[in-house]
Amino acid sequence: MSLLSPAPARNKWDLYRRRPFWRLVELFVARIFRGGGDSDAEGLDLGIGLVLTLLAMPGGFVSILLLDKYGSFLQWLRGMTNVDPLFISFPDEYFFIVLSMTVTGAVAVWRWDAIFPDRRDYINLVPLPISTRTIFLANLVAVLFLVGLIAIDANAASCILFPLVVGAMQTKFLFFLKFAAVHAVGVVLASIFSFFAVFSFLGVLMAVLPPRTLKRVSTYVRGLIVVYLVTLLCTSFAVPDNLSRAKGHVPWWTFLFPSCWFLSLCQFLRGHASPVATELSRLALPAVVLSAALALVTYSIGYQRHFIRIPEMDESALATRTFRRSRIGWLLQKFALRTPFQRATFPFVWKTLLRSETHRLVVTGAAGLGLVLASQAALNAVQSSKTLRQAAMTADAISVPYILTFLLIIGLRTVFEIPVDLRSNWIFQLMLDRDRQECAGLARNVILSVSLPLIFLAAFPPYAYLEGPRIACFHTLTVGVWAILLTNIVLVRFRKVPFTCTLPLFKQHSIVILLSVCFGYLIYAVSMPEFESSAMSQPVRLIGMVPVAAVAWLVPRFLWKNTTEVERKLIFEESAARNFELLRLSE
Amino acid sequence: MLEAVQLTKRYSSIPAIQNLSFTLRPGQVLGCLGPNGSGKSTTVKMLTALLEPSRGVVRFDGRNIQDDLQSYRKLLGYVPEEAHLYPYLSGWEYLEMIATLRGMSANEIKCKLDSLLSLFSLHAHRHASIATYSKGMRQRVLLIAALMHNPEIFIFDEPLSGLDVTSALIFKNLVQELGRSGKLVFYCSHVLEVVEKICTDVLILRKGVVIAQDSVANIGQILGQSLENTFVHLVDDVDTVTVARDIVDVMEAA
Repeated sequence: MSLLSPAPARNKWDLYRRRPFWRLVELFVARIFRGGGDSDAEGLDLGIGLVLTLLAMPGGFVSILLLDKYGSFLQWLRGMTNVDPLFISFPDEYFFIVLSMTVTGAVAVWRWDAIFPDRRDYINLVPLPISTRTIFLANLVAVLFLVGLIAIDANAASCILFPLVVGAMQTKFLFFLKFAAVHAVGVVLASIFSFFAVFSFLGVLMAVLPPRTLKRVSTYVRGLIVVYLVTLLCTSFAVPDNLSRAKGHVPWWTFLFPSCWFLSLCQFLRGHASPVATELSRLALPAVVLSAALALVTYSIGYQRHFIRIPEMDESALATRTFRRSRIGWLLQKFALRTPFQRATFPFVWKTLLRSETHRLVVTGAAGLGLVLASQAALNAVQSSKTLRQAAMTADAISVPYILTFLLIIGLRTVFEIPVDLRSNWIFQLMLDRDRQECAGLARNVILSVSLPLIFLAAFPPYAYLEGPRIACFHTLTVGVWAILLTNIVLVRFRKVPFTCTLPLFKQHSIVILLSVCFGYLIYAVSMPEFESSAMSQPVRLIGMVPVAAVAWLVPRFLWKNTTEVERKLIFEESAARNFELLRLSE
Repeated sequence: MLEAVQLTKRYSSIPAIQNLSFTLRPGQVLGCLGPNGSGKSTTVKMLTALLEPSRGVVRFDGRNIQDDLQSYRKLLGYVPEEAHLYPYLSGWEYLEMIATLRGMSANEIKCKLDSLLSLFSLHAHRHASIATYSKGMRQRVLLIAALMHNPEIFIFDEPLSGLDVTSALIFKNLVQELGRSGKLVFYCSHVLEVVEKICTDVLILRKGVVIAQDSVANIGQILGQSLENTFVHLVDDVDTVTVARDIVDVMEAA
């Protein structure tokens, strides 16, 4: 017998793992990560490892980026000496708290459908000699394990790197340890609270609403939660400053942002809390306990109402909807969509956007971010001007439709890459002519059918009211033209029916694309509004826009002309470019 | 006339189908039998041009189907082995999308879909999402999708899977009717009785190679047995009765 082999211990562990309860827990953990739901849709299936890596990345990246701020040599170069690290890390700590809340909350929203056992679990598990209580407890353990895992994973990098970065200019190791411990408590508790808060919120709906209504409102509620989480992330620019200035009573707005409670808890644990922060820190722990308790109660009720009663529910009755063809749809079919391909695929793309939860969430997230940034720009415009008319002519106010359309166009372009139920694309493979190049046109129609009405609504009425119809028309037309040009640019070499192709592989130029999007935002949503604002006061400057627009128009056309026939063919699978061609001469 | 000429398909140099040749004439219902892994699905995918053969050609009316794939596919009605449909669309929406892709007019779509949905007992559920459909209902959606444009060639891959008794009976009669009206029908199945009853000819595959091909009547006469016994004789190396007995033994073992 080998002395090195820990066989008895492993056997014991294996025996323990093989108990029905733990096998169930394993099953539920895997299901929560890999997706549930009653459909057999493949959709966006990411592996556990990849999900955990993606969740851990933001904290790590942000910590590394902060080296610039905390590096002692860089501080010395800037003339900053004797800086209190706890004071200057205050806003960054807040950012990490909201980041951990956003990431964990987003996971709860994203995996909501997979958290509860569904019809498939019912069919597979209930006929086995396992009580429904065991299933309930196993799923509960799986959820708790998931909460712990995500709370640790999402914050692991920041719990080590951020204290290291902040402590870089400190000579005592104890400072690092204390700072890291308090930071870890703050972000992990914030993560746990965020998960349970989302869980409870959706759980209350599950406990209160009838299944049919729940199914309808669930996605919209989840969309609102995503918008709230994005807003929370955006508060990191303003909240730390406002919080540090708060004196006397606890400001009312801190009750809207639980992140303040956890930041105050960190301050309190370090003995640096102001009276307001001390008051707020008292809310943190009860909030975590309360949200966890509420989550448990709503989970139990939801389990009773939905899982136990699955056989009583008539699925087809749940999902039947009345059929109405909208007048707009009829008009589009009649006049705008000319070929059978367009007439068939345009409604398909729209229905996927409206009905597939993953796609809806991504678009809602992009739109939510756009809304937050646009609101910030509008607020800046109002704050920096004396009257509304003055505010309307500032670059900030003009940028509102630009910001909205940019994020919407990029969001839609991104979502087109996410496949939906790939195995069902056989029908397109069977019926579509791979040589016909209609996909970019289809995607353009979809993007413009969303963004042009939005531009009209966001640009025309306020400017018609404040500045008159001439300026309103000019503004609407300008944004419309830029939106069309941007759409053309983002659809260069697009050659797939949206949602029917495998996910794009991570290519070497993916980072370049990401940077281009950031750069594009600066040009489209920052520079263009400034240019338009100056053109409104001096119309001659409009001429300067012409060459830029011409370049934006010609570049995609040039790129399209320079693609080979093979690169224009319709695809259903993204594959890496081959370095060599196999000739198969033996066949 | 549909011809498969010396069709060979290799996956990473492992042959799935080797030198498969057959002819399908108007009015003929050709059954394709074979155990799992015999190459039935690969054959179907090559006939529908979803897969390109490594060697050999599929010809329709003397022309290679790859020369004008779209014209060929206009004449094709295909029911795949598994009913993969977009679950968030309703049955009506899915069929309407396919009919539109096939270039049918709005009036024709409405007319045909209403009638076919009623005949396949799906009319009442036409606006429910496919996610809520049973396996049989999904299968019926696929059948309607294959029939509605009145194609010349039908390729059915396990079409009876999940259908209830009435629908299955209707479908069997439908296949015979299609044959009588001069359509070309290629029918893949595991159910020997059905093939025996509704097909005029049979093609038996084993490990990617055709081991028998003749009319249903002749193939039984060769060995003086029923189609089931002929199939077992030609394809299976195992004694099914012994295997069944062994299964019970394993079940009862302590």
